[in-house]
Amino acid sequence: MASIRFDKVQKYFGRGEKRTHALANIDLEIRDREFLAIVGPSGCGKTTCLRLVAGFEAASEGAVSVAGKRVTEPGPDRAVVFQQFALFPWKTARGNIDLGLRNKRMGGEERAKRIADVLKLMNLDSHADAFPHQLSGGMQQRVAIARAYVLDPEVLLMDEPFGALDAQTRVVMQEELVRLARVRPRTVLFITHAVEEAVYLADRVAVMTRRPGTIKEIVDVKSMREAEDWNRFERIEDVMDLDSFVHLRTRIWKSLREEKDS
Amino acid sequence: MAWRRQLVGLSTIITVALAWYLATSVTGFISGGRFPSPVDTWAAFRQISGRGYADGTLLAHALHSLRLVAMGFAVAIATGVPLGLLMGWSRRAEALINPVFLLIRPIPPLAWIPLAILWLGLGDAAKIMVIWFAAFVPAVINSFAGVRAVEPALLEAARMLGTPPWRFITEVLAPSASPMIFTGLRLSLQASWTTLVAAELVGALFGLGRVLNLAQQDIYPGMILVGMLAVAICGWLTTGLLALGEARALAWNQGESRPAS
Repeated sequence: MASIRFDKVQKYFGRGEKRTHALANIDLEIRDREFLAIVGPSGCGKTTCLRLVAGFEAASEGAVSVAGKRVTEPGPDRAVVFQQFALFPWKTARGNIDLGLRNKRMGGEERAKRIADVLKLMNLDSHADAFPHQLSGGMQQRVAIARAYVLDPEVLLMDEPFGALDAQTRVVMQEELVRLARVRPRTVLFITHAVEEAVYLADRVAVMTRRPGTIKEIVDVKSMREAEDWNRFERIEDVMDLDSFVHLRTRIWKSLREEKDS
Repeated sequence: MAWRRQLVGLSTIITVALAWYLATSVTGFISGGRFPSPVDTWAAFRQISGRGYADGTLLAHALHSLRLVAMGFAVAIATGVPLGLLMGWSRRAEALINPVFLLIRPIPPLAWIPLAILWLGLGDAAKIMVIWFAAFVPAVINSFAGVRAVEPALLEAARMLGTPPWRFITEVLAPSASPMIFTGLRLSLQASWTTLVAAELVGALFGLGRVLNLAQQDIYPGMILVGMLAVAICGWLTTGLLALGEARALAWNQGESRPAS
């Protein structure tokens, strides 16, 4: 059971006069093997939510726990995929993927097996020995996802992972992620500002308010996806054409719009 | 187009050499007592290469100086780079060491020469110490700045991957700071040569600085110029060697735009 729990979380930044209230009373559970996307207006604290789970920040009040354990520091059980990839430029794709496994003191044979497996999974076979600067943005993000997946983490934290990619690459990566979620389901917390992306990928979409950010509503996508059998389509544009997709997208968009306008 | 630029460079050097020859040997516009003619210089070179000067041949003097620079520089790298990395990594280490560092930093390395001679005499040890002091400062500062300039997301990625402290320093901080570290090493190397020549001028039994010093006392401009040229060539060689090492170490950095200073 690798669920993520936010328990009455408050987050403040700064002290005294300059103190800002970033997150207000976040109460949220992301269930085991659920894909939950958070959307919200910019600056609402959605990335802060992810950073709390990752252990890069600490909650001012309340607690964040993963698989029943309270988060106190970063660790390989909560793998992060960053918007700007954050690959080590002096390591090859293989070297980047290998680091986390070496840190786990895993034997060479087991590591080689796992790396070969994840390279294949992410269609990176022919790029294993390339340095990041030799790879396109999409390929770099594949390496970053492979680096996270190879650790076999309890949860996967993705912070606008496709935000830095061009539109076409983005679509390819979104389809890839759906495929990955089917083959290797994980508990995923996915941060994005793109509503379509959230509806396409997630089981549930949480909409956040403006700062101080709080969860405004949670929209269930999974039951609609299963009822309308979105999975019969390979391509993202076919799914996006469905009335049921448009309905959910519009609903979330309006909810978000209220926040942006108010 | 590369050969064209080289051609221009070569013709400039030839022109300067020709002007030098004209101004000294042909017209006597510059007297030989102030600046040597090419012929005088060649004669001085022949003398120091064959019979020797200041107790040794040019090669022996040059190798002696090279060895001292290499040793002082090596000690400076071995101490300066780790210290800079440590200060960049740990705020506590920075708070502890930085005040001492700030106090020592404004002292020009050359000002240590008298003390070094007093402590260690005219031999090699004093030179190595002074070079160490001179090369140490840029090595520390640039390693420190390099660590502080590391992209925060990379540090977070390393922490997320559960990287233990030692590996964190050697595989994340050091390579990330390495473009800056090499900038520091270039400055260190320059400082090493400057300091060595100065130290040998002040007091030495052997080496290129000793050649320069003796030639000045002998009023021997040709030999002074030979000494100067020898220092230039040695400096150029070591800089080239460092650049070679840098190109190897930073092969991953190709195509990425990074600030040069």
